Formats: sequence, C-alpha cells, structure tokens
Amino acid sequence: MTDPTASPPPPEVMIRLEGLVKRYPGQSTDAVSKLSMDIRRGEFVVFVGPSGCGKTTTLRMINRLVEPTSGRIWIDGEDVTDVDPDRLRRRIGYVIQQIGLIPHMTIAQNIGLVPKLLGWDKARIRDRVDELLELVGLDPAAFRDRYPKQLSGGQQQRVGVARALAGDPPVMLMDEPFGAIDPITRDRLQEEFLKLQERIRKTIVFVTHDIDEALKLGDRIAIFGEGSRLEQFATPLEILSEPANDYVRSFVGAGTGIRRLGLLRIADIPGGAPEPAGRGAVRLTEDQTVHAALEEMLQAGADEVVVASADGRGERSLTMRDLLLAAARAKGEAR
Amino acid sequence: MSFVEYVDRNFDRIAFLTVQHVQVVLLSVAIAAVIGVGLGIATERTPRLRRVLLGITGTLLTIPSFALFGLLIPLLGLGLAPTVAALTVYAVFPILRNTVTGLQIVDPAVVDASRGMGLGAGQRLWMVRLPLAWPVILNGIRVATIMVVAIAAIGAAVRGPGLGELIFRGLSRIGGANAFNEAMSGVAGVVLVALVLDLVFVLIGRLTTPRGLHD
Ligand SMILES: Nc1ncnc2c1ncn2[C@@H]1O[C@H](COP(=O)(O)OP(=O)(O)O)[C@@H](O)[C@H]1O
Ligand SMILES: [Mg+2]
Repeated sequence: MTDPTASPPPPEVMIRLEGLVKRYPGQSTDAVSKLSMDIRRGEFVVFVGPSGCGKTTTLRMINRLVEPTSGRIWIDGEDVTDVDPDRLRRRIGYVIQQIGLIPHMTIAQNIGLVPKLLGWDKARIRDRVDELLELVGLDPAAFRDRYPKQLSGGQQQRVGVARALAGDPPVMLMDEPFGAIDPITRDRLQEEFLKLQERIRKTIVFVTHDIDEALKLGDRIAIFGEGSRLEQFATPLEILSEPANDYVRSFVGAGTGIRRLGLLRIADIPGGAPEPAGRGAVRLTEDQTVHAALEEMLQAGADEVVVASADGRGERSLTMRDLLLAAARAKGEAR
Repeated sequence: MSFVEYVDRNFDRIAFLTVQHVQVVLLSVAIAAVIGVGLGIATERTPRLRRVLLGITGTLLTIPSFALFGLLIPLLGLGLAPTVAALTVYAVFPILRNTVTGLQIVDPAVVDASRGMGLGAGQRLWMVRLPLAWPVILNGIRVATIMVVAIAAIGAAVRGPGLGELIFRGLSRIGGANAFNEAMSGVAGVVLVALVLDLVFVLIGRLTTPRGLHD
C-alpha cells in the first residue's frame, strides 16, 4: 500500500488525508469517497454535515479504528497508514459522545491509563492526573478517587477530555463530544474548551452535526454533503460571507448576516475616532464581539461605543454605523 | 431413635461425608469454570462454533444424571473420576453461557473508548471486559455450584464420594433400623451445603465486584 515515491507534507501540516476511501463490507456505495484535506498544526477543524455523511468514519480512519479501503494518512510528517494502530492511538487523543469512561476504574485510573501504557512512573502519572483535572476545572482532591458513575454527564465529559489529553498527544479527535449534554452545560463546556485550546494549542478534529457549534468553535470548518463530498472547507466567517454553493447556504441556514456579528471582534473593525466619545457612550474592550457591542448599545440607547485596547492603554470610539458597515464588508480573514 | 439423636451419634461420619461432598463439588466447578470461561473467551471470533458449543453443553444438561454417571463407568470406572467428570459436564453450561452474556453486555462505548486509547485486544480483555463481565460470570458459577450440589448426591451410584452414600444406603434398606434417618441426614446435608455455598457466593460477589460497579 505504501508508495515509496510519495513525499511527506510540509511541516506546517499536522494531518494530511490523501484520497481517503472507505467502503464498508457488503455496501454498494462508499461511506467516504476520495477525501483529501490538509489540517495545519495547532488548528481547530470542525467536520459538520448531516447524519450519515461520513464524519465519524473519516475521524475514525485518522486513528485507524476504521481501516481505510484506500488512500493514505499522514500525521506529523509520518505516513501512518500502515503503522501499528495501538501505538498510533496512544499518540492521538480520542473523545466520543458516549464518553466511555471505564466504570470500574477511578477517575485517576481512567486518566492515568494511557500514561501507564506509555510506561510513565507512578509519581509522574499522579502529577499528570492532578494537572489535567485542574485544567478541565475539576478539583483533584475531590474527584481523583471517585468512580465515573458518581459524576454528572458534564463532569464525566470533562474527565473524557482530560483522559484524551493524558499522554500529551499532538492530535485530538472528538466525535460530537458535547452532543449528549444539556444545552446550558454544553455552552459552558464549549467556552471552557475554547479557552483550554488557547493554552494547549492541539491540532483538533471535531465532529458535530450542529452548524452553530461548528461556527463557534472552529478555526476552519469542513462542510460535508451527501456521500462525504467536501462542499466547503473554510473559516467560519468565509462560510457565512461566501458560501460556496446552495448546499452550504441552506445548511448554514438563515440569518447569516446577524450571525457573522458574533464572529467578528471589535478589534477586527478598522477606523473610529481617536477622541473619547461624549456622555452616555457604552464602554467595551477590543476583544469583545461586534454582536456584544451592538447589544450593549441597543440596551443603553447609545449610538457610540468607547473601546479600550486589550492592554487598557489606547481608546477609540466607534459609532453604530461604523460597526455595521465594517461588519457588512468584513470577509473571511478574521479569526 | 429420633433424627436428632441419629445425627448426634453419627456426627463424625456425616461431617466427613459433607466435607467430601463440598470438595467434589468445588473441584468439579473449578474445572468447569476453567473450561467454561476459557471457551467463552476463545470462541469470541467464531460465533458459529460458540453457538454449537452452547447447544451441546446445554443438551448435555438434559441427560438424566443417573444415566450419565452409569454411562461413564466403562470409560472411567467407579469412584471419584466419573463423579467429577459428570459434575463438570453439568457445570460447564451455566458458566459458558454467562461468560458469553457477560462479555456481550459490556457497554460497547467503553470498549470503543479503550480501543481508541490504544489498548490492544488482550489488554481490553483483562483490564476492561473481564472485570466488567465478572459479576455475570460469577453468577453463572454460583448457579452451576448449586445445581451440582444436588446432582453430586447421585454420584454415590458409581461409588463417588459425598452425602449420596447416606441417601443411597438409607433408601436401599428402607424399613430397617434408622434407614429413614440415614437417608434424611444425607438429604439435610445436601440442602445445608447448598444454602451455605449460596451464601458464600453472595459474599464472594460482594468482595470481588469492582467498587465502581456497586450501586
Ligand atoms: N460499521 C459500519 N458498517 C456498515 N456501514 C456503516 C458502518 N458505520 C457507518 N456505516 C455507514 O456509513 C455511512 C457514514 O456513516 P458515519 O460515518 O457514521 O456518518 P456520520 O458520522 O456523518 O453520521 C452511513 O451510511 C452509515 O450507515
Ligand atoms: Mg457520527
């Protein structure tokens, strides 16, 4: 299967899928057909599409839980199409919707399992477990020795994420990880996970069928159509501003103009007067979204917003018209 | 002589036969457990063979025990060997069946996640699947044990060890002095052994069920 003439992708590519095909035994059509894509180091890529379009199959081919029918997979410059799958999987974090914590092992044992397989010593595993519990917002002293069934669904999935991070893998695969969690907890987990990703900078492939989750989380979004056709692979802003075709337009749904406002930071909006605005103006910071700015202005009945730079030094003022015009013109380069 | 008096006077013999009875039962169940659990694991990739084995071991259960003991005489003679062999044959089915069921009902998401973490097939079996299937397997061993306690008494027909001797001798000379008491003491011993072993299994279950699985 290995083609000795194939050259590895450039170093900035963490995952390369090359003409990946999967046909399950006894099926007359491909579950995934001729899929090629590059995912960059540290990038958060979301696969989104209707049920049955091959997202899970594609994800599971990356860690070889599903063996490709043909095609090739590169991870971190290495052709992993034929390497030992168990060793490969210890270098790739894997999180699933059903979580799948091992019920007869404590939280610490669940998180410490991959490090144990990797041959770490006990003290190092213990430190790593505590570090990871902190990282996902669970108090180690309170949770370390509990069993999975003593945790809520949201807490269990935090452990699921911690467990996937345990061996410090460069790549994380996540299959609808927040899909079975109540909407309020899901929102919190999404926010926290974004903050976490800013710190750990893993290369993440995340599957969802929820376009809003995709727009919220992804650096880039791969929209799949029927038969795993890759309809568009672009930033959230590009997808909202320049949908590649009618399929993408209808999949994304209505209200794209308003939804874009939630993706734009005030920092993305150029211009504005250097003078501090007059009385009654709303005060915000550059890292907030245009959506938040407009919401505040509407609430306060103000026409202007004063924006402090992130370091708190400079200030500028923007009018509602500045914001709306700039947002209308903004194209895909933000984020 | 009253039953209590009879037991009191023959206590040493009854106690000796009771211990023998327990030993032959535990020996047979231990052999059956190795066979049943082993076959359950070994046939995971060959479901058809597995169905055939379940069918055969299940059918063997329907052979009247008296007949099975007798049929084993030409092969194994009299005494311990045919008794243990017959009891093992009976004990395999519940253990095999529960091993198969126990492994099948392990949450597939847990197995999938373990596989995704890089546990090999053997590691998944020992570290994840068997511990989770254990309560079901143990229950199969318990059922086999209780069943075999009663059947073991028939082993006396081939001069096997255990409480069956009291029952057979008592019944063979019924009407004679203390014949009824003798048979009764054998029956009571069998019931007592069954009850005690059942309790022992409850205890083993408590002690060996992984903590995370308790409610
Ligand atoms: N193990 C399997 N055997 C046969 N067909 C499968 C299997 N897994 C998935 N499929 C089929 O492959 C297609 C893609 O499935 P999947 O990758 O699970 O899609 P998604 O995750 O996007 O919902 C579907 O038509 C599904 O029925
Ligand atoms: Mg899926």
